Amino acid sequence: MADMVLQTATAAVGAFGFGLLFRVSGGRLVTILLGGAANWVFYLLAMYVYADRVLAYFLAALATAALAEVLSRFMKTPVITLLVPMLIPLAPGGDLYHTTFALVRGDVTAFTQYGGLVLREAGAISFGIILVACVAQTAQKIWRLSKSSG
Amino acid sequence: MQQQEQEQTLCAILDAGELLLTAGAEIARVEDTIRRLALAYGFVRADVLTITASMVVTVQTADRAVLTHTRRITRRETDMRRIEAVNALSRAVCAAPLPLPELVCRLDEIRAMPAGPVWRKPAAYLLVAGSFAVFFGGSWRDGLAAMLCSLVLYVIGRAGDKLGLQQIVLTVASAAAVSLAAVAAVKIGLGQGLDYIIIGNIMLLIPGISLVTSLRDMIVGDTISGLLGTSEALLRALAIAAGCALVLMRLGGAA
Repeated sequence: MADMVLQTATAAVGAFGFGLLFRVSGGRLVTILLGGAANWVFYLLAMYVYADRVLAYFLAALATAALAEVLSRFMKTPVITLLVPMLIPLAPGGDLYHTTFALVRGDVTAFTQYGGLVLREAGAISFGIILVACVAQTAQKIWRLSKSSG
Repeated sequence: MQQQEQEQTLCAILDAGELLLTAGAEIARVEDTIRRLALAYGFVRADVLTITASMVVTVQTADRAVLTHTRRITRRETDMRRIEAVNALSRAVCAAPLPLPELVCRLDEIRAMPAGPVWRKPAAYLLVAGSFAVFFGGSWRDGLAAMLCSLVLYVIGRAGDKLGLQQIVLTVASAAAVSLAAVAAVKIGLGQGLDYIIIGNIMLLIPGISLVTSLRDMIVGDTISGLLGTSEALLRALAIAAGCALVLMRLGGAA
């Protein structure tokens, strides 16, 4: 449990750091700090329920993207300014490192194992993001249509 | 519109697109913005093809003349403020087109946005490296060591930029320098988890996010951009591993 709290806290600080690096301005950094924590909490929850890493990545990306979509409407900013830093804790940096390091070392078993994991993780995150983006766009169109016809 | 004015308008529209693309906006957003701006300025048709390395725009004017402009894109650095500013400008313009000189002036303003305080980037490096070293399982002392190493990374990155070093060479050098610093930090007893210290710093170099966005581009149909981005990301990941391996195989034992 203490581990999880520590991970969530460091995920939040890491997301904040990336927000700073990407030049997100002012008050949005606080949103990103909280969003980064939420992102990891989503992951931990999904992991607790399904105990499957790739599925948990997908669900966490889905929930975070939905959160970013809603927040960005409120704050009147493009979604990616919030979404990209908030997703940082999920970025498969560690596994990508293990993959390429295995390749350089000539360890084929570890390379295929980690490489497959990275691709599935990155794919799961991308699918989560796209699904939310599609739903948001469609909802917006329906909203406009209903407004113009009614 | 005079032909010269039309060309200048198209040029300004491409400037807006270029600002977005170099600031790291999604391909779909760049294309959409260019198309909307072109229609707002009275062109009757706009065909836009954007990939990460270039933009091609062909517009048709009301009197059936056709204009094409191309831009080559080389450097990109994520800058959310810029994306936000161009986005706001394009919304305003689509609602009520500004006169051309004013549009050019506003775009120049966005391009010349101040870089922000000097401590912004080093502070971001410290926060990211320190927090991710702990995030991946290191102790707080590993976090501290990672923070010190991230300053090495920052200095190397700055020097490389000043010298105009090739991106790939710079990445190998940065990864090697960070590994060296991490080995040194462990040797003097500051941290114990060599892996954690290095991974915390590598989060700053590794293209995790660009891998995810490239896959996203591919899934939404921007296949070429997606492939370009993915291969760029893989090349960078390899460069990082090579840099680390260079140092660790000699000094770190079995890493």
